[in-house]
Amino acid sequence: MSIALKRRDAGTVALLGGPVLICAIAIIAPLALTLMVSFWERQMIGMKPGFTLASYALFFDGARFTVLERSFWMAASATIIMLAIAYPAAYLATFKLAPQRTRIFLFLLSVPFLVNYVIRTFAWAYLLGRTGPVNGLLQVLGLTAAPVDWLLFSDFAVYLGLVAAYMPFMVYPIWLSLSAIDRRLIEASWMLGEPPLGTFLRVVLPLSLPGVSAAAIFGFVGSFGEVAVSQILGGVGYQLMGNAITSSLDVLNYPMAAAMSSVVVGCMLLMLTLWLRVFDLRLFLGKMLGR
Amino acid sequence: MASRMTSSGRRTPPGRSLVWLFLIGILVFLYAPLVPPVLLALQDPATGTLNVTSFGAIAGDQVLMGALLNSVIRAIIVGIAAPLLGLAAAQAVRAFGIPRLIITVILLPLFIPGASMGVSTSLFFKLTAIPPSLFTMAVVQILWALPFAFLIILTVMSGFDTIYLEAAYTSGSNRLQAFWDIELPQIAPGISGAAIFSIILSFNETVRTAIVQGGNNTVQTFVWSRYQQVGLTPNMYALMSLIIAVTLLLILALVVLGRRGQNKTQGRAVTTASEG
Repeated sequence: MSIALKRRDAGTVALLGGPVLICAIAIIAPLALTLMVSFWERQMIGMKPGFTLASYALFFDGARFTVLERSFWMAASATIIMLAIAYPAAYLATFKLAPQRTRIFLFLLSVPFLVNYVIRTFAWAYLLGRTGPVNGLLQVLGLTAAPVDWLLFSDFAVYLGLVAAYMPFMVYPIWLSLSAIDRRLIEASWMLGEPPLGTFLRVVLPLSLPGVSAAAIFGFVGSFGEVAVSQILGGVGYQLMGNAITSSLDVLNYPMAAAMSSVVVGCMLLMLTLWLRVFDLRLFLGKMLGR
Repeated sequence: MASRMTSSGRRTPPGRSLVWLFLIGILVFLYAPLVPPVLLALQDPATGTLNVTSFGAIAGDQVLMGALLNSVIRAIIVGIAAPLLGLAAAQAVRAFGIPRLIITVILLPLFIPGASMGVSTSLFFKLTAIPPSLFTMAVVQILWALPFAFLIILTVMSGFDTIYLEAAYTSGSNRLQAFWDIELPQIAPGISGAAIFSIILSFNETVRTAIVQGGNNTVQTFVWSRYQQVGLTPNMYALMSLIIAVTLLLILALVVLGRRGQNKTQGRAVTTASEG
């Protein structure tokens, strides 16, 4: 980069630095405040400044911890399912479609993502219901005599809702790193006699790991803190971490909501830090940074 | 290489059709939920007959009309603020020597679950004694749209060769002039794309907004609270169908805008080439 562009003057610093600083504060300050509040004491209504681990103790001790555990496994397994769909999709779109068609496919993938996922989840509740089209189809095909109950208000329904909500989002980072792979490396591997599977396992897969991990973080974080999918498709009493947080907020237990939220954000920051340590951001965003 | 792969794919039709089957299957899975709201809005739950009364009924709902106005106002605010902030951040990535830090911070909201971000911002407003208002809802939505707007603008900016800016500097223009006259026209399609993207995200955001809404409603939080309080009726499905329709129209606008931007840059490239 040229020296002229690096040259800084007071005007530029203020004009660019100001808004960026405001954004940074608006993003970080609430998270820091939440961590602080999580150590405060709970009052009958509201909270009192102080330092107590009461909220954390209650969290890790009680029924909420089961919710944390369940959310964790749910999010982890959902992430693996989503990767199992998103990776082949990104792979096929990158290597098996003409560039023009890849763009069209990625565009079509993004359209439903932009439609409110809560509305899409409501629609799934109808599609999967006892009198819904999926059950109707199963009966017409003779696969089942009576409506299948486990389609809705079940783990299955929640998995399906999570996949519908977050999987499309995961295709992009994987596609980004797959399309950044230097095709000559793949050719070289072929020429050196490596069979297609070997080429995939030893060249393509390792080089696409930055995108895979970014996608995994997206999917995991989304599923972990989910509110709407679990409430609509899981049925009454089905709780994931996001539900536990919002229900604490509903009963005005701010320190508890803050403690649970901080644990979730802490997990997320840990994963993000690990990701940034293992992979160079430029490997992944190199295309966008343009250098 | 790519052409070799496609041609080898063509020689084996079964593999090729499996590829299509898989990709189309994913698309069907994702588009299926866009259909039921329209059907459920048109169908009378008691008699099963089809009619459009539910669409008429939502126009008479005062609370809903207020929520709609709120949604539109906020979409405009977010559609202006997010791209401008995204532009500033993207320029800062290039101008300041700390691109990693800026990118990480701006993209952070992408990695934080909606419920956590909602709780944090609502606590922040509570402690700073800012009452829930259109402003607080706008802030939450701007923070949500910002990473997307930022990424879009960053992508467009990476296609702009900074050598033109240097040429402008050597010809004696200052930074602002160079940006305004040289770079801005080139990256303008990206900025308007980011604006429409932000409007769509604002219009479709529920979880974060619902936590800081206070007494205000948007179309989305209206649907969500009705669902929690009384369940869904044909009127609500009619509203959802309209939301889907508006979103698809906005996406269409985005496509048209993208096409036009592409033609413009292509046209300009041709002019430059013929001049050179």
